[in-house]
Amino acid sequence: MLTSEDRHEIEQLLYREAHLLDERRFREWLDLLTEDIEYLMPLTEHVQGKVAPAGHPIIKDDKNTLRARIAKDETGWSHVETPVSMTCHLISNILVVDDDDDGDGEASVKSAFMVRQARKLRDEAWWVGRRHDRLRRVDGQWLIARRSIHIDATVLPRGVSIFF
Amino acid sequence: MEVGWMSVLGELESLVGWERGRVSPGIYFDEEVYRREQARVFAGGWVPVGHADMVRNPGDYVANYMGEVPVIVVRGRDGQVRVLVNKCRHRGNQVCLFDRGNVPGFTCSYHGWAYGTDGALVSVPGEAEFYHGALEKERWGLQEARVVDYCGLLFATLEEAAPAFEDWLGEDVRWWLRYFVLAEPVGGLEALPGWHRYESPANWKLIAENFIGDNYHFAHTHTSWLRVRHALRDQGIITPMTTAPHSALHDGGKYSVTAGYRSGAPLGLGAMITHNDALLERDVEDAQAFGKEAVEWVRHRTDRMSKALADYEPRPAYFGHGALFPNLGLMGYVSPMTGKHFMLFHPRGPRAHEIWQWTMVEREAPDSVKEIAVQRVYQGQHMAGVIAPDDVENFERIVEASHSPATWRYPMNYDIHLGHDQDQLPHLPGNISAEPSEINQREFYRFWLELMTPDDAKPGGQA
Repeated sequence: MLTSEDRHEIEQLLYREAHLLDERRFREWLDLLTEDIEYLMPLTEHVQGKVAPAGHPIIKDDKNTLRARIAKDETGWSHVETPVSMTCHLISNILVVDDDDDGDGEASVKSAFMVRQARKLRDEAWWVGRRHDRLRRVDGQWLIARRSIHIDATVLPRGVSIFF
Repeated sequence: MEVGWMSVLGELESLVGWERGRVSPGIYFDEEVYRREQARVFAGGWVPVGHADMVRNPGDYVANYMGEVPVIVVRGRDGQVRVLVNKCRHRGNQVCLFDRGNVPGFTCSYHGWAYGTDGALVSVPGEAEFYHGALEKERWGLQEARVVDYCGLLFATLEEAAPAFEDWLGEDVRWWLRYFVLAEPVGGLEALPGWHRYESPANWKLIAENFIGDNYHFAHTHTSWLRVRHALRDQGIITPMTTAPHSALHDGGKYSVTAGYRSGAPLGLGAMITHNDALLERDVEDAQAFGKEAVEWVRHRTDRMSKALADYEPRPAYFGHGALFPNLGLMGYVSPMTGKHFMLFHPRGPRAHEIWQWTMVEREAPDSVKEIAVQRVYQGQHMAGVIAPDDVENFERIVEASHSPATWRYPMNYDIHLGHDQDQLPHLPGNISAEPSEINQREFYRFWLELMTPDDAKPGGQA
């Protein structure tokens, strides 16, 4: 059973995470993810009738791949983050689903996001969608063990160089 | 000459100096040029529309575009693949709203005109009462483009007077597609379902010319990734992309391939590497992490390819990037352990395009290889990969710097290996020259100019 304290901690975790991303403290953000994190963005498409599923998602990262993305930008030579993007992650509609009946220290959390990415003088992108997270309690602290990002766009507004 | 305050369209011959390595930015950003391109290049010629794997079963379809014309690539109930314009003949409404599917037909949402998967108009509400039984339904089927299936790759044209497909894609281009890009001697490529799509700034030609010939940009545009990938691997950060082979690591000969050199629609390939034993050992070493089956497959497919191309030694082994005129981009990734990306650059006005990308893997590869091959594709030259977003950024900057026609008067420079692009491997079809080069960009504009040059007899001549 999740306590009201658990629910509060989980909500605070998602807000703290949003601030870390907007403040570009990506190494600290990584610390909020379990070592076996699965970070996914499935392909959004409109399909009709019986067809094969998409051959692969947009993103399917493990922690090392996330580390690699961050290391790339830390070189200072990533054009796509020069100058760095300004982002504002608005996280809302947080729903903590209490499925911790078995006491395994895990919980499912749904949230909605609206992320505005602004670049240079006037280039911008709006990223809107929902996240389905699996959270796990590790050494007394809630961490993100799985994140599935569902973008409300079948054509992405630009290349992805930010995190959700 | 006051470029920018004149008709760009009226001066194309002098603005596109492909033979002397000079191209005016006006051809990217001028509205009139853009309009004529829609008629001459995208409606007048043969454009790639997808792959036969996307429509394996009767009733299967994928939505796509030919330029700005929305089309449905569909396998009819009769088994035949057709390309239908996604536009009801009654009032011009779209009849298909999905990205892909399997359907018995297409019904317009406006008045209910219904078409079969062969494009034929099959039913019209009120046909007897309102049309008095006089509507000739056979004359009101969906507009249809002619289609050619070339080794699985589908091409279509909306122009009745278009050249024959074999004249549009010459013998050299077809050779490189069949035996190399599409890997027919080793069982061919398999297309994975799903369009991966993103918007990008800049005229479609800027990305097309990037893919057809620009390996020069790789070292600088993608320097961040090139700088970290070794360090990451040394730190034990083993990911599909940190272990993916890259042409920059190859010590042997690298070439630019120009198929259709000085003739017809060009196919350009960059970072083409010829086969040698060290390359095979590199791939075997890479495959070892994926088991015995992967290793055996690498050896077997290499052997088969060597036998199939025994008359072409040294034979082509891999390529890095490429494009087929006008708008099919190719990523070869210089390894059989990495998949291939095919992408369509769809024009969206002079200053924007959309990229519609799909992934290909060698059909006969074991599942373990397909899995790693696919991951390397979408973590690389893909909208969410570590490579493509840096390209998009460059295109955005080009657009920001090009709004005013005042910036169009200085031509851009396509000098690399100009006059030094002789064929170095005459035993292979096409012109195989130094790398990196700009020969393929020059060839791209050669053919583009040929299509665009004023000739009132051509479609779009009055545009």
